[in-house]
Amino acid sequence: MEPGKEQANGRGATDPNDKNRRIFKIIVIGDSNVGKTCLTYRFCGGEFPEKTEATIGVDFREKNVTIEGETVKINPIIKWHLSLVCLPLQLQLWDTAGQERFRKSMVQHYYRNVHAVIFVYDVTKMSTFESLPTWIDECDRHSLSPDTPRVLVGNKCDMADRKVVTSGIAQKFSDANNMPFFETAAKLEEEGDKINNVFMTLAHKLRDHKSMMPPPFDEADSRDSRGKSIKLRPNKAELDGDDDQPSDSSCAC
Amino acid sequence: MSAKRRQRTPNGKKTPVTTDLNATYTPPPTAAKSPQGPESAKKAKLTAIYAALNSDPVDVAALRKLAISRGGLLTDEIRRKAWPKLLNVNVFDPPPKLKMPIEEHRDYNQVVLDVNRSLKRFPPGMQDEQREVLQDQLVDVIVRVLINNDQLHYYQGYHDIVVTFLLVVGKEKSFSLVDKLSTHHLRDFMDRTMDRTKHMLNYLLPIIRKANPKLHDFMERSEVGYVFALAWLITWYGHVLNDFHSILRLYDFFLACHPLMPVYLAAAIVLEREADVLAVECDMAFVHSLLSRIPDNLPMEELVIKAGDLFVQYPPHEMAKEAQLQYNKSSAITKHKELEGNLRGQRPDTVLRRLQGQAGGQAQAGSKQSNRVVKVAVWAISAGIGAAALAVLNSAMEFWV
Ligand SMILES: Nc1nc2c(ncn2[C@@H]2O[C@H](COP(=O)(O)OP(=O)(O)OP(=O)(O)O)[C@@H](O)[C@H]2O)c(=O)[nH]1
Ligand SMILES: [Mg+2]
Repeated sequence: MEPGKEQANGRGATDPNDKNRRIFKIIVIGDSNVGKTCLTYRFCGGEFPEKTEATIGVDFREKNVTIEGETVKINPIIKWHLSLVCLPLQLQLWDTAGQERFRKSMVQHYYRNVHAVIFVYDVTKMSTFESLPTWIDECDRHSLSPDTPRVLVGNKCDMADRKVVTSGIAQKFSDANNMPFFETAAKLEEEGDKINNVFMTLAHKLRDHKSMMPPPFDEADSRDSRGKSIKLRPNKAELDGDDDQPSDSSCAC
Repeated sequence: MSAKRRQRTPNGKKTPVTTDLNATYTPPPTAAKSPQGPESAKKAKLTAIYAALNSDPVDVAALRKLAISRGGLLTDEIRRKAWPKLLNVNVFDPPPKLKMPIEEHRDYNQVVLDVNRSLKRFPPGMQDEQREVLQDQLVDVIVRVLINNDQLHYYQGYHDIVVTFLLVVGKEKSFSLVDKLSTHHLRDFMDRTMDRTKHMLNYLLPIIRKANPKLHDFMERSEVGYVFALAWLITWYGHVLNDFHSILRLYDFFLACHPLMPVYLAAAIVLEREADVLAVECDMAFVHSLLSRIPDNLPMEELVIKAGDLFVQYPPHEMAKEAQLQYNKSSAITKHKELEGNLRGQRPDTVLRRLQGQAGGQAQAGSKQSNRVVKVAVWAISAGIGAAALAVLNSAMEFWV
């Protein structure tokens, strides 16, 4: 999947006080030790964490971004029209524990209302790739709609000499399951854009997603609404202690 | 599938390093406030602790009270002596023989993955080689306990508990302590599934409802659930607190208490943060995110008292009735009653060491069951003492002893 041009803006943060930003909830799943925590951490503005720890239960991370998109503007004369603007988005990432016991009982709660799923495996460890069908079943069992956007990520590509899951076989798998496929190395500094692409691809899929599309004009929230399936969040208080937040708050569109 | 034990230097040689951590790592003493001044109060507490340890049989009731009261057991030297007594472990018993090589245990790979990622749990100044030796020991202790108790299953977070024991009491003693702890306080976490862990967490919101209905209502509306406190409970806060000292202090507390005490402490922490919670948007993500991070500056000693208050006011069996939980479903709880019964009549280490020298080493020498169980000291474990004792407890907790 080719990323659109505005994905370069993935790093640009929106104004966290923007009352109209939309929220997308994304759950990140896959076997233990594949790099879910490192990937989400990097995307949310951090460097590669040298001292990552096993995730116990579920960790939450967030990032504000903008993507280019159409939005409904109110016009006093023609009532409304579509225009191209920057859409402020908040991506909420649920970084889950890979150990089976957690996924079986603790993680369920977090499948509710998710807009998208990221499957991660470790390219140097075949068993983590072979677990993917189980993870997909897991999603289905939590009655995620089959058209919920999903992406597949093969991580730890920096260890080329130990790579055992070839790009070909992974690509085939992702095609068969109808999801975009990325290979990343959370560890490499220069991979930042690529990691952004993973998440921004989802953001775009979500933007274009049918079920995300509201009727063109929504009375209830007439200023800038895209519909009921997306919650508009008045930003009362910034979250305490989340230092992953990028400080740059200019709109990069 | 064979996992590499740990990524080592290319030649795989282990560097011989002294493994006596205690020689190199001594946490700074806990600061404390007391009407008589911290130093004299501390001295008095030290005297009381040693008196309890050296009396024959060991005065476990007093020891528990001292472990709970302000500052806990104060020093690692004391912890090395007192923790075994709180768990009724005879550290002079020889360790059991291993039934299989540790690499063959079903959980070995996961343990290695987690221990490799546990760098944060070691003192910041520690040399890499020394840390690696300890990490090897950590894997060893964990898997030996698992092999010794086939019914136990490893969970991510267990390593956060074991590392705390390893750092304080060393490899051999930590095996016997963790072995006991795992079949008692931690037992429910170590089932194949987490059903009974959930069961324990199910006490959390009902306790909060009792103490602060408004906050409870907010949390319920947010649908935050209890997973934010999962790591607190199953690691005894070892995974979530940055200050090693606070962790040790809490371990003193928990070792002296009922297995549900970590849940009561969780309630105390949430209640303490009421204003912060009510200030965020009433939504799962925001409330979870806020609560799952424990700020460094929480008044831990006050929270310990608060947890004790909550325990006395809303004891587990009553909460169970109210929340329609099955109190006896937890084997951590039922096993705890058993442990309670066995705690008395332990001999001091001086005696145990002597007995060990003699044939047979009858460590569990019979004792006249002393009636020394001071009620207030066991408030935390015998739930039925009621609100009258609470006042006594509170004033007792203001002081070191
Ligand atoms: N070489 C390399 N190592 C990586 C990469 N990403 C993560 N790691 C390492 O892989 C290990 C696991 O990373 P985590 O992010 O903790 O894995 P996780 O998927 O969150 O694991 P659980 O929390 O147990 O489910 C850590 O030791 C990381 O340093 C990568 O791109 N390359
Ligand atoms: Mg993780």
